[in-house]
Amino acid sequence: MFEHLPTKRRNILRALVVGGLTAFIAPFVYAIGKFLAWQGAASGGKSTATLSSDDLTPGSPSQLLEIQGEPIIVLREPNNEIRAFTATCTHLGCIVSYRPELLIGHQTQPGFYCKCHGGKYDANGVNVPGTRPPSPLTELTVHQEANDVTVSLTPKSGA
Amino acid sequence: MMGMEKQNFVDVLHLREPVEALKAKVVPRHGSSVWYYMGGLALFFFLVQIVTGLLLLFYYQPTPEAAHSSVELIDKQVPFGALTRSVHAWSANALILVVFIHMFSVFFMKSYRTPRRTLWLTGIMLLLVTLGFGFTGYLLPWDITAYFATRIGTEIPRAVPIFGDLIVALLRGSKEVTGATLSRLFALHVGVLPLISVLFVGTHVTMTALIGSGVPLKAKVKGETRFIPKYIFGESILWLIGLALLLIVAVLYPWQLGTAYDLTKPVEPPVGVHPEWYFMFLYQTLKYIPEWSAVGFYTLVLIFWTLIPWFDPSRHKIQSDASQPIKPSYRSHIYTGIGIAAIAGMIALTTLAYISVAQEQASSQGSARAVSESGIRADSTQRQPTNK
Repeated sequence: MFEHLPTKRRNILRALVVGGLTAFIAPFVYAIGKFLAWQGAASGGKSTATLSSDDLTPGSPSQLLEIQGEPIIVLREPNNEIRAFTATCTHLGCIVSYRPELLIGHQTQPGFYCKCHGGKYDANGVNVPGTRPPSPLTELTVHQEANDVTVSLTPKSGA
Repeated sequence: MMGMEKQNFVDVLHLREPVEALKAKVVPRHGSSVWYYMGGLALFFFLVQIVTGLLLLFYYQPTPEAAHSSVELIDKQVPFGALTRSVHAWSANALILVVFIHMFSVFFMKSYRTPRRTLWLTGIMLLLVTLGFGFTGYLLPWDITAYFATRIGTEIPRAVPIFGDLIVALLRGSKEVTGATLSRLFALHVGVLPLISVLFVGTHVTMTALIGSGVPLKAKVKGETRFIPKYIFGESILWLIGLALLLIVAVLYPWQLGTAYDLTKPVEPPVGVHPEWYFMFLYQTLKYIPEWSAVGFYTLVLIFWTLIPWFDPSRHKIQSDASQPIKPSYRSHIYTGIGIAAIAGMIALTTLAYISVAQEQASSQGSARAVSESGIRADSTQRQPTNK
């Protein structure tokens, strides 16, 4: 465009056209971006999840729960301690499962296994070097009163 | 030889010829050529519908339980959501209005004649698709008015001989208007109709580009406008005005959302319930004559209207042939008259429809005496205690 004009004028006009079009399009790009990037209202739902300790048996020592859309794994260890971890694999977001007998290195011990890409974590949720997960699972606070187990999204202090 | 030359996509896709044709394309300039811009304006509103429709699709949920609240979510929480939905609704109305203006301007210019008969057919198809979009989209917010409009709209085809029940069943997916109906109209609105419309809009626009715009017989051609860039600039100005108006109207008059309809708690329709303005002439017709005759009448009208390029006596005359003296019959005044009658009929019926709606609303708001006199709306007397 504007080939018939001297170079300087031509460049000014071209800059005006490009600048004008950009200024015209920018607000629409902004609005559409804001529209699409919206993440919903403040995440609803209770901040804790409960279950009965009777639900965790030696035959089925773990259970998946959900707090505000996040999957949580609650488990009873062989020593009867009840612990809770975030269940989202830190590799690619799959959901891990608890295995009382998981082969870690050359030893069989309790731990977490991710079926999606073979990721492993030890019983404390620490990712096993040499498997895909880059970071540990987060241990969560568990409150137990008689048989009632309450898990909150708060990370366990000192974990 | 070709291998030595630098090739760009224009050459690879064999677009050299169309690009050159487009560069050389001219649009005739005469007293009525302003109407040429209407087709392009319709295309603009159609594109707005695609963009805003796709955006709404990211949040809308097509179930009776979630539909209304998802629309409410768009309106109240999603950033620019209310604006997007309002633009979608207003642009839909603008599109229908411009499609009608475009159709009648083509009609009065007699531009449907050879070599544009197929163009007219694709245009009729697009008119029906546009109205289909309007009807199917209307239910999606699942408010009370939408529900009743759909109940009635999907009941009308029952009047079609032999296939009536089948058509109703196909539209509703269940005996009544339910979640199954919502799924179906949603599928039509966001899947079937967009696919058909994109195909036909593509054909329609390509054919226009290839054949060129028709010139009315009596028009004095003053010259030609180069399609690139002058005509495009003109059309751009119109698009920008259209966009500005859409945004202004959408902001100042946000599209309303009625009360949610709960299938488990039937309610009566609101007083003066009526369809959108573009279906008002059909709605009014149904008050005068039985459904079967209305369906029959409008089917015949549609067939006649579709086949007008084959009925018009001057159909073999190629209009751009200006060297030949124009015989009066080629102007086919009778078809001009038919067009005027069609518009007058539609406007008259639409006006009558709005008057009766206003009367009904006034009578329900008036005194109980007026209500009892009219002999209708016994239901509203129950809701509004009398003053006696």
